[in-house]
Amino acid sequence: MLTLSHYLILAAILFAIGVVGIFLNRKNLIVLLMSIELMLLAVNTNFIAFSRFMNDVDGQVFVFFILVVAAAEAAIGLAVLVVLFRNLKTIHVDDLDRLNG
Amino acid sequence: MDFKSVVFYLFSAVLVFASLRVITARNPVRAVLYLVLAFVSGGGIWMLLEAEFLAITLVLVYVGAVMVLFLFVVMLLDINLDRLREGFWSYLPLGATVGALMALEMGVVIGGSYFDLFENRVPALVTDSNVKEIGRLIYTDYVYPFEVASVILLVGIVAAIALTGRQRRQTKAMDPAQQVLVKASDRVRLVSMPSEKLEDSVPQAGE
Amino acid sequence: MLENYFPVLIFILVGAVVGALPLILGWVVSPSRPDSEKLSPYECGFEAFEDARMKFDVRYYLIAILFILFDLEIAFLFPWATIFKEIVSTDTIKWFGFAEMMVFIAILVVGFVYAWVKGALDWE
Repeated sequence: MLTLSHYLILAAILFAIGVVGIFLNRKNLIVLLMSIELMLLAVNTNFIAFSRFMNDVDGQVFVFFILVVAAAEAAIGLAVLVVLFRNLKTIHVDDLDRLNG
Repeated sequence: MDFKSVVFYLFSAVLVFASLRVITARNPVRAVLYLVLAFVSGGGIWMLLEAEFLAITLVLVYVGAVMVLFLFVVMLLDINLDRLREGFWSYLPLGATVGALMALEMGVVIGGSYFDLFENRVPALVTDSNVKEIGRLIYTDYVYPFEVASVILLVGIVAAIALTGRQRRQTKAMDPAQQVLVKASDRVRLVSMPSEKLEDSVPQAGE
Repeated sequence: MLENYFPVLIFILVGAVVGALPLILGWVVSPSRPDSEKLSPYECGFEAFEDARMKFDVRYYLIAILFILFDLEIAFLFPWATIFKEIVSTDTIKWFGFAEMMVFIAILVVGFVYAWVKGALDWE
């Protein structure tokens, strides 16, 4: 029988993988964004699991709004990335130090 | 182990494997494709939780659109792969430690007694469609967040166009509609004027 | 409830197997004797002119971004459509339920008009 903990532990593993991804790929902006998407997936899974086991649909409404905001965020983030690459010809994180006085 | 558990473990295994490959894949294109796999299995997990509408939305919006966007961006940029991966293995011990610690902490909290409250609770029998339940909440209790969401989408549209769409027209293209609409009077102007003698104005060519 | 989706699961599994089987079969059955000539890149009988990976135009990206944002708009329309009858039959939020979606769409039409005027939808 599947319990709440099953889903929560799966989400915890997924979130940890997202964090490790940020550690490992700290030079590659695209993979950084993808790791963030993984972490969001984990968080949303938590939301849905709780909503299911507490018989409260509000959690799912939250997930829906998170999906909207995350999609808009990915769209704008990637737009910034494209402009960055067009101007600097690189997406290497170390090269983005213009504000480093 | 019942059938539902089998499906859960199947989807979880694929999900964890795919997300591990996302963060370790050499080629960003592969990372994106593994992320697609991860989202699809995530959608399967959500389906098991009887959040059908969100599972479908995840597949439609994330797999269908956001991942395509990621793929476009990866293909748009030609990236020096080796430089982006420098320091990859040197950060592995630290990253793995932090990740394991984090998962462990969450496991301790989650595996602890606090959530036993819910463990034995049997989820209520779903009587109505999941889509209707969500709709009933969004369009009554969550009206303002709903309207704000449209503003966020508007900001996304404007930002995307303002950021990337500033290249000028470089090609000279014809507009067929305008070509067809042209009248002779727009091109040739007939002027009525008194006739003139040739000798007065222009010298004769033969002289 | 979830049992209704059992055929979908079967469908996914069968689809995956049908998709993967020819690849695996081809990999297992076919003879594989590679040599350097066979493995070299080939472009209409010439040596390869350029790298196979080419850059996409940024316009694809803009179309994809607009697709996401309007896709989400449709995702909002869908639950509204399923409960529309229910909403308009209650007295208190009768027109409100209709007006809220019209406001939502109106805000996004502003974005659509902006995209149109800016020429983001033109391909040239």
